[in-house]
Amino acid sequence: MIHVLGAIFNLSHPAHVVHWHFIKLPLANVIVIGLMLVAFAVAIALPFPGAASRAAARRGGDSS
Amino acid sequence: MSGSRSSSWTIKVREKAIEALPPEKLLPDGQPTYVASWIYMFGVASIAALVVIITSGTILALKGPAWWHYTGIGHFFNSIHMWAVELFFFVMVVHLWGKYWMSAWRGGRARVWITGAITFLVAVPTALTGYVSQQNFDAQWISTQAKDGLNSVGVGAFFNVTNFGQMYSYHVLLLPIAVVALVSAHVLLVRRHGVVPPIELGKR
Repeated sequence: MIHVLGAIFNLSHPAHVVHWHFIKLPLANVIVIGLMLVAFAVAIALPFPGAASRAAARRGGDSS
Repeated sequence: MSGSRSSSWTIKVREKAIEALPPEKLLPDGQPTYVASWIYMFGVASIAALVVIITSGTILALKGPAWWHYTGIGHFFNSIHMWAVELFFFVMVVHLWGKYWMSAWRGGRARVWITGAITFLVAVPTALTGYVSQQNFDAQWISTQAKDGLNSVGVGAFFNVTNFGQMYSYHVLLLPIAVVALVSAHVLLVRRHGVVPPIELGKR
C-alpha cells in the first residue's frame, strides 16, 4: 500500500515552492491554506441539518 | 462556629464558582438557534482533534521511539498523532477566522478571545517540539533549521531545539499542560458568557 501511494506521490525531490514577490511558500502549505479557505466558505454557505425547521418551529412558538 | 464556617476558603471558592458558573450554565441542555451553523462546529472539532492528539501521544510516550519507528502498529499511532495535529491546526485556524469575522470579543468576551489566541500561540511550539522529538533525519533537519531562527531572536540559550531531552520534556509535559489548561479556561469562559451571537442580534 505504501509503495502504491509512493508511486502516486513522488516525494524524492526538493519541495515545489510558490514564489510571488516577497511571498515564498511551499506548494503543500499553499494547498492547505486553500483548503482552509474552502472549508471556511463552505461552513458559512452550507445549511446546517435541521436549522431551518428549528428556526421555523421557534417562530411558530413565538407567534402563538 | 458559623463565623469560622463563613470565613472558610473552601466555602468562598465554592460560592464564587457557583455564582460564576451555575450548573445550568456549565452543562447547558440547549443552545441558541443561531448556533445551528457549520461555522460554530470548528471549536468543538478542535477539541475533538486535541483529544485524539493527547490519547495517541500518551500511547507513543508509553511505548517509546523504537516502537514508533520500527513496528507497524507504532507507525500507525505515529501517523494518527501527526495527522491529528494537522487536523487540529486546520480546524483551529478556521475557528479563529470565524470568530474574528464575528468579532467574538463582543459582549464582555475579551477573555474568551484572548485565551483562544494564546492557545493558538502556545500550540505552535507544542507542535514544533514534537517535530524535533521524532528522533529521525526529519527531526534533525527541522531542529538545525529552527535553531538559527531561535538564536537570531536570542532564545536559543534557554530553548535549545537540538537538545532532545529538553524538547521532549517540553513536548510531553510542559506545553501540553499549558494547552489543556488554556483550552479548559477558554471553554469555561464560553460557558460563562455564552456563544457569541451574530452581529445583527448583538446590536439589539
